[in-house]
Amino acid sequence: MSRPSFLNNMADFLTSTHRAKWIFSPQDLKEKYKAANQRARQTLEKYGATRMEVDVDGSLSYPEPQTDAKDNVEKHSRPKPLKTEEEQLLRAFYEFKIQDVCDAFKFPRKIQATALIYFKRFYLQWSVMEHHPKHIMLTCIYAACKAEENHVSAEELGKGIEQDHQMILNNEIIVFQSLGFDLIVYAPYRTLDGLVNDLEDSLQAKDEQLQMLRDMNETAKIEADKIMLTDAPLLFPPGQLALAALRKSNEVHGVLDLERYLESLLSRQHSTHTISELTVSLNAIDSLVSKHETPTATDMKHIDRKLKSCRDPSSHEKSKKRKHRSKETSNPLQA
Amino acid sequence: MGDGNNNSRNNNNNNSNSNRPEWLQQYDLIGKIGEGTYGLVFLAKIKSNQSKSIAIKKFKQSKDGDGVSPTAIREIMLLREINHENVVKLVNVHINHGDMSLYLAFDYAEHDLYEIIRHHRDKVNHAINPYTVKSLLWQLLNGLNYLHSNWIIHRDLKPSNILVMGEVEEQGVVKIADFGLARIYQAPLKPLSDNGVVVTIWYRAPELLLGAKHYTSAVDMWAVGCIFAELLTLKPLFQGQEVKAIPNPFQLDQLDKIFKVLGHPTQEKWPTLVNLPHWQLDVQHIQGHKYDNPGLYTVVHLSPKSPAYDLLSKMLEYDPRKRITAAQALEHEYFRLEPLPGRNALVPSQSGEKVVNYPTRPVDTTTDFEGTTSLQPPQPVSSGNAVSGNMSGPHVMPNRSVPRPMPVGGMQRMQPQGMAAYNLSSQAGMGGMNPGNIPMQRGVAAQAHHHQQMRRKDSGMGMPGYPPQQKSRRF
Repeated sequence: MSRPSFLNNMADFLTSTHRAKWIFSPQDLKEKYKAANQRARQTLEKYGATRMEVDVDGSLSYPEPQTDAKDNVEKHSRPKPLKTEEEQLLRAFYEFKIQDVCDAFKFPRKIQATALIYFKRFYLQWSVMEHHPKHIMLTCIYAACKAEENHVSAEELGKGIEQDHQMILNNEIIVFQSLGFDLIVYAPYRTLDGLVNDLEDSLQAKDEQLQMLRDMNETAKIEADKIMLTDAPLLFPPGQLALAALRKSNEVHGVLDLERYLESLLSRQHSTHTISELTVSLNAIDSLVSKHETPTATDMKHIDRKLKSCRDPSSHEKSKKRKHRSKETSNPLQA
Repeated sequence: MGDGNNNSRNNNNNNSNSNRPEWLQQYDLIGKIGEGTYGLVFLAKIKSNQSKSIAIKKFKQSKDGDGVSPTAIREIMLLREINHENVVKLVNVHINHGDMSLYLAFDYAEHDLYEIIRHHRDKVNHAINPYTVKSLLWQLLNGLNYLHSNWIIHRDLKPSNILVMGEVEEQGVVKIADFGLARIYQAPLKPLSDNGVVVTIWYRAPELLLGAKHYTSAVDMWAVGCIFAELLTLKPLFQGQEVKAIPNPFQLDQLDKIFKVLGHPTQEKWPTLVNLPHWQLDVQHIQGHKYDNPGLYTVVHLSPKSPAYDLLSKMLEYDPRKRITAAQALEHEYFRLEPLPGRNALVPSQSGEKVVNYPTRPVDTTTDFEGTTSLQPPQPVSSGNAVSGNMSGPHVMPNRSVPRPMPVGGMQRMQPQGMAAYNLSSQAGMGGMNPGNIPMQRGVAAQAHHHQQMRRKDSGMGMPGYPPQQKSRRF
């Protein structure tokens, strides 16, 4: 039997930087998040603030060392760093925002997915305390548009969401660098289309069944959107993300005997993996989705206040004083 | 990371004596070897390994104030994913934060097909020997087959983009270069033609000239056909006059040159011809340009029965769907007949053939890395490129042989502090881009060490539980 066409498309995944460098174990991720958090904590201790300045020329600098740091400690309580859990919530919030912004611009799913993967990879290297996720979120969308040949000017993007486009440009290089210039990423959507095509062929689906398969594909895409918000894209290859989405969708539509289909798929691939191995992966993806929570704006207020104070304690003091005059400045959700 | 090296303010002081960025100090700059619309190409040697030459392609920031050049991004992202003996190798990416320019470091290739053809035409006055033609063509197809099977269309193949290595261990090996216009063609989000007009006009496929919206890897095969003919005759096969008024894929003179040699395309030979916009609209009455006697074999001086002619005519097939693919071409009888193609295209394995000594690439040693030119008159520099073409027009124009000095005022000098900052963020595994002999920068090593330390200090700051790691993650 000939290889299903979508498997040929996956052939380049097998030799990709995505597969070679950007699929991790849960332990890897945990360590990377911890390391970034730890580094930001040390910066906070040393400089009294964590914000990395990105200058107009794209260069980076740490905050000025606080000469009166000791005084501060005595007079005020030192700003508290975010915990890794809080960082995770903050990232989750802005990842949700990425989908929002991309929807607002009517960008295709592929761009949304690319931006999300860039964002996730970026924060494997950095703490949100160092680079504000609001800025990085927009720059990731901008970079994804560039990489996916759907060029949108920074100005246009900035205007659409009332953000300063210079900030997008200032962060562009640091984002590309942090991604190691590995800019071709694989999302589950294309594989999903391939799987559904393959099903149409192998079932020789007609009329009603064809429509059911298409409905199932649509539901599966929505499931894949949910998967993209979790850590799963850093832990599993896109083919497994697609299968997890398809399985979830099949639970709703009940179109096919998925187990049997998976078996035929594995045998056609001459895969050395067993169906039970695959099932363990798909279960793990499901469980990431069901555990995932996108924090609400109210949840975010507390974390955002903390973020502000450790990124830039002095401005936090000022903004506290101004608070009654300008609500906007303390609103973390403008993006 | 807390080693102070990363603090740009500190670095400003540390480096104030030197205006050379740190990454540049690993190279000895020899001079400029090419320039195009994207920027300049330099020749450099690696200090730690003087036998290793590197071509460094500098991309200017995009003109419209929109950040990093999309051409550079396209080229980097594709080259990061591919690895083939007949495709140029990207060994490193450097960033100048001062002016947001990118520097791409490639393995240096001493020759290119443009220079080789020119040498035969203007200097030695005899044809390129059949072994060399066949070997060059085979390797070009081999690289192209790899690209096409990875869903990449090059879109800008021309002699100056086909490099040939001069170094001893890889001597005579072909490298396809300049991926600034290349793109992955699976599931395009937009019609491919939205990306502006591509392919230097002489090598442009007829479907592009007639306004095709969705074109395929067949456009590269047309260009290979043109290059094959040029290797045989030392003259561009279809030398049309380009109309440059507005970006316009329709080029009447170019089509006319093609029709003269290959005969008029007909609907019988090319059924989808009538759907192409410029044909349909009969722009400038192209349908009426009739030529009776197709005479490709007389132009290329080949017997119509020879395998070489058969292969060439299959590459120059009007209908892109019938045009031979790279994979099919590699299987063609032409490559199974003596002389068989070899890895060193320049030196046949059987001695007896006269070996042509091709000149080394001219280097303009008066230009520094910022593109500023010193006051002494520049040496003539060929328009052929070590790394790429992207030249704005046909390159036999004699006035192109002198480099156009870059406007000094428009170029910022490099900011050492910006360069230093690169170290800071290069932790994302740029090491992966450094497979060769280029020493890792100090900052990177320091960082790795630092990360280790931090990991050790970590105590149980738990993340929410992950499911157990899977043995197999491959689908």
